[in-house]
Order: sequence, then C-alpha cells, then structure tokens
Amino acid sequence: MIKMNRVLRKKGLSLGAILLAVMLTITACGSGGGGGSKSASLPDLDGRYTPDPSTPAWKLDTKKETTDLTWYVNADWWNTDFGKDTVTKKIKEDLNINIKFITGDDTKLNTFFAGGDMPDIITVFDSNSAVAQKASTWALPLNDLAEKYDPYFNQVAAKDTMNWFQQKDGKTYGYPDYSNTQADYDSGDIPAKTAFIIRQDVYEAIGKPSMKTPEEFVSAMEKIKSQFPSLIPFGFNSIGTGTGSLGDVLQDYLGVPLEDKDGKFYNRNLDEDYLTWLKTLNTVYRNGDISDDSFADDGTAFEEKVKSGKYATILLDGVPQQGGNLQTFMTNNPEDKYIAVDGPQSTVGNQPTLNQSGITGWMINYITKKAKDPAKAIQVFTYLLSDEGQALVNFGIEGETYKKNSDGTVEFLPAVKELQLTNSDKFKKDYRMGEFIFFGHDRYKALNKDSSPEAIKQLQEWGNGKLKPHFILENINPDQGTPEARSLSAIDTTWNTTLVSLIRAKTDDDFNKTLDAYKKFLDENNWSKIVEIRSEKMQANRDKLGIK
Amino acid sequence: MAKLAVTQPSGSNLNEKRTIGQKIKEFAVDFWRQRELQSMIIPGIIFMIIFCYIPIYGLTIAFKSYTVIDTLDSAPWVGMENFKIIMSDRYFWDAVINTLGISFLKLGIGFIIPIILAIMIYELSFTRMKKFVQTVSYLPHFLSWIVLGGMMINWFSTTGLFNQILLDLGIISKGQNILLDPGKYWWIATLSDIWKEAGWGTILYLAIMAKIDPTYYEAAKIDGASRLRQIWNITLPNMRSIISLNLILTVSGLLGSNLDQTLVLMNSQNREKAEVINSYVYRMGLTQGDFSYATAVGLGVSIVSVILLVTANKVTSKLNDNQSVL
Repeated sequence: MIKMNRVLRKKGLSLGAILLAVMLTITACGSGGGGGSKSASLPDLDGRYTPDPSTPAWKLDTKKETTDLTWYVNADWWNTDFGKDTVTKKIKEDLNINIKFITGDDTKLNTFFAGGDMPDIITVFDSNSAVAQKASTWALPLNDLAEKYDPYFNQVAAKDTMNWFQQKDGKTYGYPDYSNTQADYDSGDIPAKTAFIIRQDVYEAIGKPSMKTPEEFVSAMEKIKSQFPSLIPFGFNSIGTGTGSLGDVLQDYLGVPLEDKDGKFYNRNLDEDYLTWLKTLNTVYRNGDISDDSFADDGTAFEEKVKSGKYATILLDGVPQQGGNLQTFMTNNPEDKYIAVDGPQSTVGNQPTLNQSGITGWMINYITKKAKDPAKAIQVFTYLLSDEGQALVNFGIEGETYKKNSDGTVEFLPAVKELQLTNSDKFKKDYRMGEFIFFGHDRYKALNKDSSPEAIKQLQEWGNGKLKPHFILENINPDQGTPEARSLSAIDTTWNTTLVSLIRAKTDDDFNKTLDAYKKFLDENNWSKIVEIRSEKMQANRDKLGIK
Repeated sequence: MAKLAVTQPSGSNLNEKRTIGQKIKEFAVDFWRQRELQSMIIPGIIFMIIFCYIPIYGLTIAFKSYTVIDTLDSAPWVGMENFKIIMSDRYFWDAVINTLGISFLKLGIGFIIPIILAIMIYELSFTRMKKFVQTVSYLPHFLSWIVLGGMMINWFSTTGLFNQILLDLGIISKGQNILLDPGKYWWIATLSDIWKEAGWGTILYLAIMAKIDPTYYEAAKIDGASRLRQIWNITLPNMRSIISLNLILTVSGLLGSNLDQTLVLMNSQNREKAEVINSYVYRMGLTQGDFSYATAVGLGVSIVSVILLVTANKVTSKLNDNQSVL
C-alpha cells in the first residue's frame, strides 16, 4: 500500500489526467444516443389554418411570426446563402420563413444523430445508405405530414416516386430531386445524357462514314489516324475506379438486355454482343487508335482534352456536365464543333436503351422528428415541388426575369440572358436560377431553351426516343456492411481492371485469358449469392412500380 | 530552480509515515508553488486528452457494426467479426504486401540518400553552390502530392516529357505510359518519393554536422587523413544518434506508406501493385461506408507499428552502445 502511494504520488498528475479523460469520455458518450427513436406524434396546428386538399397550405397558413428552419445539406459545396438572391428571397417572402443552411460531411451528420440536436430538414446524397434505410427512426413520414398539415402535397409529389421510397411500414420518409418516373420518360421531356460524338471537321474529312458495325468502326478510326495524326481517334470518360463510359454506358448503346428471360439478374458485362465490341475496341487499341493515356487520365485531364478538341470521337457520358467544355471548344473553333452521330450499335439487332437519372434521383430530403414546426417544413416541400415553386427556382419571377411564350416554353428577358452569357458569377449570385435544386427536375428545365449551352443541343436532340428506364436495376446491390456487399465491391474493382486489360490485351489469347480470370473470380467470390440478392431486389422493384 | 528542487520526491523513510491526506495536501502545496511552470503544461495536457485520448474510445467501433446513424453506444457489438473478415480478405493482404514492398524500398534507398546528400552538401566549399543545391533539393517537399502527381501523370503520358526524352535518345520507338505498368509501380513510388523528400531529409543531418567540432577535422588533417577518411571517422560517428532516431521513426511508419501519393498515381491497371493499407482503409471506410472494418484495419496497423517502433528502438540501442534514443 505504501509503495502504491509512492507511485500514486509520483504519477499523481498523469493519473489525474487519465481519470479526467475517463470521466470526460463517459460524459461524452452519455450524452449520445438521444438521436430519437421515440415514436413521433405530430403537434396540432392550434387553429393556424384548416388543411384543404385543393389549396397548398402555405397559402392558408396565418402564422404571423417568421419561422426559422435549420436545413442540413450533406455536401460542403452547397451555397448556404438564403434570402439575398431573387429565388430564395421569393421563397422567404411566400412562406414567411428564414432558412439557416448548414453543410458538412458524414462525420457532421453523425454528430447530429449522436448528439440528438437535429436540424429541421436533412438532405443526403445516397438513398441506399444506412441513413436513408433507417429513416423511420429519425425522420417524419411524409404521408402523415401531408395528411395532417398539407394534403396538397399529394398532388405535387409523384406517386411512383413516393411508392419507390416506401419503407417496410408502408410510409415514405424522404423525397428526392431529379427522380424520373415512367411518365417522364414517356413524355420525352427529359434529354439524353450520353452520346457518341465526333468533331464535325473530322467527320466531313473522312467522308461521313457509318460507324455502326465493328468493321466500319475500326476502319473509320484508321482513317482518322491517317488524316489527323495529331488527334486521338477514340476517347471516353476518365476510368478512375469505375468504367468510364465503356461499361454500362456502352452496354446501353448496344441495347444489352437489362434482365434475363426469367426476369432474373443478367450479368451485362458478359453479354456476347458487348464482348464483341470490347474485342473491337481491343483491335482499335492494337492499331494504335486508343491512347494509353486515356486509361491513366483523371477527370480533369479528360476535360482538358475535350476542351481543346484533342479527341476526334468520344463516347461521352454526362453531356450536360461537359456542356461548358464543349462550348469552350465550339467558341474557340467556330468552324468545328462536336456533333452526335450513330456510333457503335448492336451486332444482333438490339435497339439502344440509353439511361438517364432514374426514379431514385439524386439528393434526398427528409423532415426530422426534431423539426420545430413540421407543418412549415412540409409546406416548404409542397411549395418547391409545385409548378409555382419549380418555375421560380428554374426561371425566376415572371415579368422580372422571364416571359412565357404561347407554346408553353419560357425564355429569360434580354437583360437576364445578357448577364447569363457575360457574367455567369453575377448571374448566379443575383438570381441563383437553376441552383436551388433540392426538388429540381429536368422536365422544367426542358421548358427553357436557355438552360443548356448551344454546344450540347444537337447532342441532346440526337438522343430523343432512345431513352429507356432502368428502374428495375436501381438499388439492387446487397446492403452495406454485409459479406455480399464486400464481395461485390471486390468484384467491381476486378471488373474495372479487367475491362481495361481486355481493351489493352496484346493478343486474342491474352483477351480470352483475362476474361476467364474474371469469370473465375466471380465464382470464387460469392457471385451466385449476389445474383440471388439482386434478383430478389429486382422483383421487389417490379412490385413497387407495378411492372408485370 | 530552487523551487523545482523542493518538489523532487525525496522517497525517504520519513515520507512513508505520512497519511494519504497529508500527501494530497503536500501535492497541492507543491503544485501551487510551481503554478507558473505547471500552467505551461496544462494546455498541452488538455489538448492531449481531448484530441488524443478521448478519440481512443472510438476504437470500439472496430468491434461493432457501426453506421452513420449509430452512436458509439447504440451500434451492436460483433466481437472479433471484423478482424476475422480482414484475415480472409485477399485485397487486404495484397495491400499489406504492397505497403511493405514500397516501404522497404523507400527505407533501403530513401534512408541512405539524404545522408549521402547531406554529407555532399556539407563538403561543398563554394557557399553559393551549397545554397543553390539546398534550395533545389528542398523545393519538391513544399509541393503537395496532388500537384506532383498531376505533373508525373503528365510527364509519363505517351506524349509527355519522359517518353519524349527516351524517343529523342532513340532508346524506345513508341511512347509507353509506364504508370499503367504494374511491374514498375513500386519503383515509381519509391523514386518519386525520394525526389520529393530527400532534400528535406538532409536538414537534420546538416544541423548536426554544423555542430561537429572543427578541431577534429584539423587534427585529422594534420594526421594525414583523406577527405573520405574524415567523413568515415569523424562525420558519420557524430551523426550516429540522429541517424538512429530517424531510423526508428521511419521503421515505425513502415505500414503507413504515403496515402496521397497512392491516391494520385493509382489507376485501374497498376492497382494490384499500388494499393497500400492506407488507401485500402480509405476506400473501405469513406467510399464504401464500412467504418467498422476500416477501423479494425487501422487498429491492427497501429498495433503492428508500435511493435515495429519498439523493436527498432531495441535494435538501434544495441548498435549505439546500449544507449536508447527514445
């Protein structure tokens, strides 16, 4: 004991420090866990207004004082200003609200859940993540909110989208942006985002050949190389950890089936038609018409080459994202521009089935259980989803920033358009049109021809009628954290390497060996179980969407 | 100084007869007497507690199934499950092999080069040249891997600087992107790291060399020692302790091979040779959202690193006449 005491005395300070650490740790952890698994009971309106199915509640609400809402966006790049530009100023006035935006990453999001001090609204980016899957524990169901505070919400929310995000308890907790339903695809309002493009001067110089079959494609690339030795004949999106535009984008071009005959999961990577085209690309590579650099380039390097017109042809994914670069090339080279032509096509007669943003959409918005005024929060959702709100966030205020044409399309007023072309920073700062995208949708963008740069209009038109929903393939991966998810991640990584190795194969024998190694890898890594899970999830998707 | 002496625990027999209460009181008195000195260390202790010790509790997620919406408490325990998965994960072991391969190359070559470079700079008698060499060799250290990596991707491209030189010299007939060649990646990683850090690594050595007593050299000259003999018998022995310290620090970091460098230079073709433990943890933890797994790997790596550190310390102290640096 005496010895102990001596030690204690010697180490008094450090021991004290450790004790303090332990105490702090315990308190730090003790405060956690209040994230809210309590069942939600929605507060009463206290006579503020009587909900009416035919009128949006924000028009009925008589609440005098301004409501403060905190809105967390899980992205550091989000512009947190509110109430200074045309768009958000109008939102602020119409709804009598003041929104305080907070941005951050998953760590910050976790802090909210752990600390229990939740914001009113949360926007995340992965509807397959644990946050979205366990939404029932921390978010309020939109169905209940609509019923109690704002029945008009049901008129502006797409039914398919609501069904799609329905959880096991039959309720929907989050609503996404850019969620395209079957009706959207059918309407033709949403533009294609992929295209096989070629520089116009190159196209004319080589005699506008057809490039639909493998033989035609190979010979066109040879012609390009001999006539334009300084250009890279064939380019594609940067590969990185994915497949660039040589995976599912090329498969969509060739119309590779989405499912097998029995409606089960179909491994599109091993489709014969697709493999034929990979062999073709291998030939093109061996002829020296694909640059090795394309496999090592990152996104920036790729964009740089697009901007300077370094590629003669590109299989391009994400046309709108490259709009600026394509426009730069067109502006600097008025005689030349990239145009979309019929590129690689199925060798067995399938039609292209181009993909667009699916029903899952992009960002997804939730109202949390800690929302101080849930009635106001759902009003914001309804407002932004309605035609009125969509017109505001996309075009601004009628008469002030845009005018309506007789055919239903809209155009910016000359002064606004001028500013958009000459000073896009000020345009963004003053108006913020097209940027408040929490509930954005392409069908409203399509009404305004000024919303896309000149350089991509022909590219988008080319895709008309070639879009086909890929809904049944959405969110079919095994759940995060399961052994199957880990296997799949390994398989995807291997496919990424395999795809590039196939195209870079030195001999036919090499090509076949690489392919066999991939097949073997599938067998060794739980592939059959993954196929099973995916097939089940595809069936669930079908049920949700009412597809036979 | 006098105040300090008072607080030295005497450890005499008299002390042992005091009660705990007395001791606490004495401790408080001592503490109060040297409050100015103590107050200097308190911010450091608080900093350590908040940023170094409390986060250690977070390691428990290595034994849990943790997601973003869980708290440290609410996530369910899974025991050693994550570690079992690591053991059977081929990609993890690939990453371990790459990490060790690249690290040992860096250790083998990259450790000696700064020493040689420092001696060469030290031996330069033309001061301006000395300054110039130092500045040029330090420069790459101040550029981040994002910038350097971008430059290297450019240089190694089929039409880039590297291939152009080889083409002009007639060594090759067609440009090749060596970043796509997995067989060369370890060397690319090692040599580019040496290029970036070698100059910076000389600073410590130069500092220690500046402190060597010039009379040693004068005496050696009188005895007729050549330049090389002087380096071997005077410069190197004087640098021994700092070389050991550097070696210990380098060895303990063997498993932490450069993440930034890997993330920039890795591509689909060289991945099998480029993936290191850190980039693997990054991919699993941040991009796949598998926090528990990533933490488990991180914990394992930390434990092995501590073992390496202690071993390196033991070995170097044996070499240093049983004088331990740490």
